[in-house]
Amino acid sequence: MKVTIGHLYPDLFNLYGDSGNVQCMKKRLEWRGMEAEVLALCAGDEIDFGKLDILVWGGGSDKGQALAVDYLKRIRPDFKNYVEDGGVVLAVCGAYQLLGKYYKAGEEVIEGLGILDIYTERSDERLVGNLILESPLSASPVVGFENHAGRTIIGDCAPLGKVLYGRGNTGDGGYEGVVYKNTVGTYLHGPLLPKNPEVCDWFLERALKRRYGEGVNLTELSDEPELRANGNMVERLVTSGGRSR
Amino acid sequence: MWCGKLACAVSRKLGKGNGSSFPGRVARKIDPEILSVLSSMVKEKTIAVTGTNGKTTTTSLLAHVLSESGKRVVWNRMGANLMDGATTSFVLAAKKSGRLDADYACVEVDEMASVKVFPEIKPDCVLVTNIFRDQLDRTCEVDITCNQIQKAMGTVPEAKLITNCDDICSYTLAAGCGNPKLTYGIGERIADDMPAGMGESVFCPDCGCRLEYDFVHYGQLGVYHCPDCGLKRPEPDMTVTDVEFKDGAYSFTIDGRRIESGAQAPYNVYNTLSVYAALCAVDAPRDGFEQAISNFDYGNNRECAYQVNGAHVQLYLAKNPVGFQQKIFLIRRDPKPKDIVIQINDTVLDGEDVSWLWDVDFGYLHEAGVASIVTVGTRGADMEVRLKYEDIASRCGKDIRETVEELTRRGSRNLYIITNYSGLYRTIGMLDEMQAAGKERVSE
Repeated sequence: MKVTIGHLYPDLFNLYGDSGNVQCMKKRLEWRGMEAEVLALCAGDEIDFGKLDILVWGGGSDKGQALAVDYLKRIRPDFKNYVEDGGVVLAVCGAYQLLGKYYKAGEEVIEGLGILDIYTERSDERLVGNLILESPLSASPVVGFENHAGRTIIGDCAPLGKVLYGRGNTGDGGYEGVVYKNTVGTYLHGPLLPKNPEVCDWFLERALKRRYGEGVNLTELSDEPELRANGNMVERLVTSGGRSR
Repeated sequence: MWCGKLACAVSRKLGKGNGSSFPGRVARKIDPEILSVLSSMVKEKTIAVTGTNGKTTTTSLLAHVLSESGKRVVWNRMGANLMDGATTSFVLAAKKSGRLDADYACVEVDEMASVKVFPEIKPDCVLVTNIFRDQLDRTCEVDITCNQIQKAMGTVPEAKLITNCDDICSYTLAAGCGNPKLTYGIGERIADDMPAGMGESVFCPDCGCRLEYDFVHYGQLGVYHCPDCGLKRPEPDMTVTDVEFKDGAYSFTIDGRRIESGAQAPYNVYNTLSVYAALCAVDAPRDGFEQAISNFDYGNNRECAYQVNGAHVQLYLAKNPVGFQQKIFLIRRDPKPKDIVIQINDTVLDGEDVSWLWDVDFGYLHEAGVASIVTVGTRGADMEVRLKYEDIASRCGKDIRETVEELTRRGSRNLYIITNYSGLYRTIGMLDEMQAAGKERVSE
């Protein structure tokens, strides 16, 4: 079995080690004897969404995001169909914001892809720090790091999880991220997947089932170091009385 | 002046055994003008050094060369580079009378602190080493770092700006400054092994088109041009030629001077060149330059080699992706079998966000003769996970002392320790102790 992972605009959206998410998916497929093909979908490339099983899109600098606007307009219709059709997407930080309707920074409004019914407004206070969630995607808490000035309003959409430590979508709403069909948007860097192997497998399983049918199951891997790295942060910040800042 | 005097006395007292910033903080409380006042007493020139990597080495190299030529130099030798740290170095150098007897000042300044520090020290020249990704939880983005330095340069419009023109980020930074300028760069390959960390340097800053590189030394440093709008790396004002690496060190020619340096790493060729450029910029004496370089310790009392239980132990500091990649380059160049200990902490000094480890290409450790890797530190487990996803085996150790003791006793003869910032000085202290303990045993 083969899974094709598209890494969207790695040349423009490459902050905070987000390429680690691609690496994590690839290795966890290979360790199970499956094939993983990673396509670097660079700015200006033609993108055939029909080929993709997973699309990973990371955080970018303001400059990178500004450069991407024109390219995004061109891929919007195909991208939207892919999401509606159950295509698997992980969008982190800047990418998460761009999936929504708009990003408002003071007087300036940057139009998003409008694929999800969410929007973001910039605030003066930047939310920077460790972030830990309780999420239906994973039995273990989801551990990562957030760094964003935007406040994302997800309306009636389902969040990725409930904040156990840190700030999340709006800083004080108690929830973080969004899940719509097989698309996840989140502020969690870390990168997200390596320390949260169950979340990684959630994406892989969705992608495999979509391509090869419901009968596909993932074999178990030994996630001892991953869960230790995860557990260390949970222990430090949640279990031993760490408080949300 | 009595304020400065008092502050000096107070801080000297308080400064004993304390950090390198506290005396400065006390002095500023008593006299907020103290840094401006003291730095105005510098007789000849003040040189500020900022940028991502190499600030401490470059500042200490500058101070060394100037001292060797008989100049009295005030500089922040401890590498404390925020406002309080810079103030401390001047306060501690001042006489009890409140006078400063210095010909030159060489001041390392943190990029984000430059806006506040530059107007006080009024540098004659500002040397920017390079602009790489670093502690994104503090500086957010490279663009923000650049803006900050540009703002700082605006406060000292007469100061000459010295930048590395092989670095597209520094090039962009300089383009946005109205200051007089001088550039340095290297047009022949000095390290062609490991392109990595191109993050901010893929696209043309002017037209957004993809840049083309003839070659890259490391990080994003290389010879670039834009195929669309014609932007290209300028011909540097100062350069090195005839670079040779033999017997573990670089030799090269700058401005007709043949320099046999003790520099083992390519980045120290840049640091040395930038120092020469700074000397030219302020017209400082350069006669003894070759001699001064040949007896300079690039390890800077930080990245030293030790003997512990019969093992050769090399300590390296790595605090951002480009820096770490360079240490891997050095380790790979050593043909002998080796063990590695990697210590990763996540204090505020290190950056609480350790995601930068994923911007380092650890795949290069596959064919580097590495027998074992042990990870330690508050984020040792994260480091182990990082290596696992490169299919590199490692184990997470509890304690660095225990780990080094165990490895060297079990027969490791060649050990590398890589640490990020907060663990550096404690590890130096530990290795000093372990080395001394070994000597005692030998003499018994």
